Amino acid sequence: MSAIIAAAHLSKWYGNVLGLNDVSLEIEDGITGLLGPNGAGKSTFMKLVTGQLKPNIGAVTVRGRPVWNDPAIFPEIGFCPEHDVFYEDMTGREFVAGLLRFYGYTQAEIRQRTARALDLVELTADQDRLIRGYSRGMRQRIKFAQAVAHDPGIIILDEPLSGLDPLGKRKLIRLIKEFRTQGRTVLVSSHVLPEIEALTSRIVLIHQGKILAQGDISSIRKLIDSHPHQISVRSSDPRALAARFVADASVEKMTFAADGRTLVVETRDRDVFFGRLTGVVLEAGLAVDEISSPDDNLQAVFEYLVGK
Amino acid sequence: MTTLRAAREVFGFFGRLAWKTGKTRVFALLGLVPVALAVIVRILSHGRTGDMAAVFTEILMVLVLQFYIVILALFYGTSIAAEETENRTLAYLITRPVPKPAIVLGKYAAYCALMFGMVAACLVPSYFVLNAGRLGDLAVTRAFLIDLGVLGLGILAYTAFFTFLGTWLKRAIIVGLIFGFGWENIIQYFPGSTQKFSVVHYLKSLLPYKPVTGGGGRGVALLLFRLEPTPPLAAVLMLAAIAAGFLALACWLFRRKEFLPEE
Amino acid sequence: MATVREKGYSHWDGRLGERRFPCWPITRTGVQLAFKKKTFRFFFAMAYLAPFAALGGLYVSERLEDFKALVKSNKALLSIDPKYFLGFMTNWSALFGLTLVLVFAAAGLIADDLKHNSLQLYFSRPLRKRDYLAGKMAVIAFFVLALTALPYLILVVFKLIFAGNLKFLAAYPWLPLSIIGWSLLLTVFFAFYILLLSASSRSSRYVSILIFMTYLFSDALAGILWGIFNKNPFMWLFSLRANLQQAGAFLFGQKLPLAIPAGWSFAVLAGICVLSAAVLSRKIRGVEVIK
Repeated sequence: MSAIIAAAHLSKWYGNVLGLNDVSLEIEDGITGLLGPNGAGKSTFMKLVTGQLKPNIGAVTVRGRPVWNDPAIFPEIGFCPEHDVFYEDMTGREFVAGLLRFYGYTQAEIRQRTARALDLVELTADQDRLIRGYSRGMRQRIKFAQAVAHDPGIIILDEPLSGLDPLGKRKLIRLIKEFRTQGRTVLVSSHVLPEIEALTSRIVLIHQGKILAQGDISSIRKLIDSHPHQISVRSSDPRALAARFVADASVEKMTFAADGRTLVVETRDRDVFFGRLTGVVLEAGLAVDEISSPDDNLQAVFEYLVGK
Repeated sequence: MTTLRAAREVFGFFGRLAWKTGKTRVFALLGLVPVALAVIVRILSHGRTGDMAAVFTEILMVLVLQFYIVILALFYGTSIAAEETENRTLAYLITRPVPKPAIVLGKYAAYCALMFGMVAACLVPSYFVLNAGRLGDLAVTRAFLIDLGVLGLGILAYTAFFTFLGTWLKRAIIVGLIFGFGWENIIQYFPGSTQKFSVVHYLKSLLPYKPVTGGGGRGVALLLFRLEPTPPLAAVLMLAAIAAGFLALACWLFRRKEFLPEE
Repeated sequence: MATVREKGYSHWDGRLGERRFPCWPITRTGVQLAFKKKTFRFFFAMAYLAPFAALGGLYVSERLEDFKALVKSNKALLSIDPKYFLGFMTNWSALFGLTLVLVFAAAGLIADDLKHNSLQLYFSRPLRKRDYLAGKMAVIAFFVLALTALPYLILVVFKLIFAGNLKFLAAYPWLPLSIIGWSLLLTVFFAFYILLLSASSRSSRYVSILIFMTYLFSDALAGILWGIFNKNPFMWLFSLRANLQQAGAFLFGQKLPLAIPAGWSFAVLAGICVLSAAVLSRKIRGVEVIK
């Protein structure tokens, strides 16, 4: 599958400050989450992808074309910026419709697309109010509306869920997932892990301007050898289970959870452990209620890689 | 989208927006001061048309030419790039299929049209009030229309220069103020070709002015001191060249430059 | 009532200590921010050219023998008296230079707070509106006094040092008071004037233009009105510069530049301050009202 967005040895300086450091990355169809703490380089990367900044070293292309000073590429791209900024003296409708003018649509098309975009973000009732009078959530939604009003194939969203209430977040997440089913490419950035997890399992983890990891959350987790995997087993007799594994070389550490029924095992070889677990459970005749991997998630991946 | 078409769309977008802002209202109000002056003078000097014409010329020359259009051009010209960077709204424009020079050209055209509207709203009523007794005189009307045209050229030239400054420099306002109210005033007292290194020289070359006997503010006589006018056609061509040249430079710079908001 | 200590917090029963000068952090920050800008430092340094030129004049006046050629044509210039100080402190370029420095240092004092919605942050602290405004005004006061009272009082000291006696002070004992009075007048006026305009917009760039526009426009308008209304000196009351110079001449006990009582100029300047106080009182509040 050819990459939709490709970065090759991309570096960007702001004076003496290194924003991005030798980033090589390919983003394919579907939803990709760009994850990193504040100041990691997420917005810098997005600005490079959307042609707002020019790379100091390397190149970034969208569908094989360099972005910088190539306005012909922008009918394909929709961008929702991070900052809460607008032409405050415009109404929501004027804002979306005004920006649609730049795509060469007829007046009728502009009206239609504006209405559809505002309906999508549930701002039809407030479309004729000045943006300066909008709440934080409404401002975020109108920003999203202007990014998608022209039906772009590639949508770049920089912290799209910030400022939204839980219901608003759920609606927007559902909307973004619909874009995937429509065959669009979505690149979403956030520093809030549950938001990214709710959207996609495909992530790019960025920290201090460098890509730390890329791929599926579980695959990344498997590769993090420095941190043993945690496996939690809830059973009728956790101590008996523990006794069976004390001598097992694949087990590094065992702890008993506060509920008195759960044994948490740390192992560097999950497959070997699971293989032995089934045998041990059958031999001992134990009743196992639940087996889970507490650290097979984005939070753990993030903490292990970023070191926080 | 071609640059011209895109510039037209940008013109439409900002043309509507600029009229709504509070700043435009303040500048438009400022432009009503000459109208108020004209009404006061008309009331106080009832019947003396000769004085009226001189007063109109003084308002035109001193206030509008050397103050109002310079202030307007400085604010709106530097705003073309600066306000998008300050307000962080540039992202909305440069992530559209619009060539970057079209943004400069479209905003420039929109703001020049707005400024010309404000100048016309200032001068047309003043003209009618102060020349009410001579409205039938075609020569006077023609001269007024020429004056308006010259001021229009001044708006185009000054705005283009300040657009270039605003695109190039971070602190364009200060440099613009020093140019507009320092350089443009001082250079007029220099002899020979030195005067030609200013915009106001060419504007004054196109606005013939006879000092009024017994009247006129102290500043007015000084304005014309040492004026060695350029022939009208050459002056028009120079103003057009200044406008086109600086606008082209601004477009070129805007296309190459990255605009980073001040953190 | 039960406490909730096991959750790691408890209600604080102490008294909140008040700072003696709650406006001081605002002033300190405002001054520091101004000095961070390279261009400002340049213009601030340039503003000291006039006092240095005055110092040169003081030196020459005490060494007349050695500067005969210079003195021949400039005798009037080298007469060191209150008029000499008035000339340097109230001329057009001194006032314009001061305005330029204040545009750099103070145009964004309130405008930037409005832009970044910082007023809510300020007033969620134990800070009253008057502390906030006092802090901002003190920034302007710092720069005005640094460019007026400070250098010219030092010049008086230099005059006495160059002369080697106190004759100058004996002849003009009220001169230091005039310098201080003029500096305070400028401080109060510019504090209200600049803050009035700074509070009128969220864009410091627009405020910079407004400051110059009103300053220069008032002068141009006054000149036109003076020409239109048969050179009536009262028309110069429309000019901020003329009013300041009129007030300055009065404070230095010199001949007034305008043929009208100085009280009129003081009244105009006071009126601007009152207007500013009224506008600032309305504009500066912790909650933004959106219509």
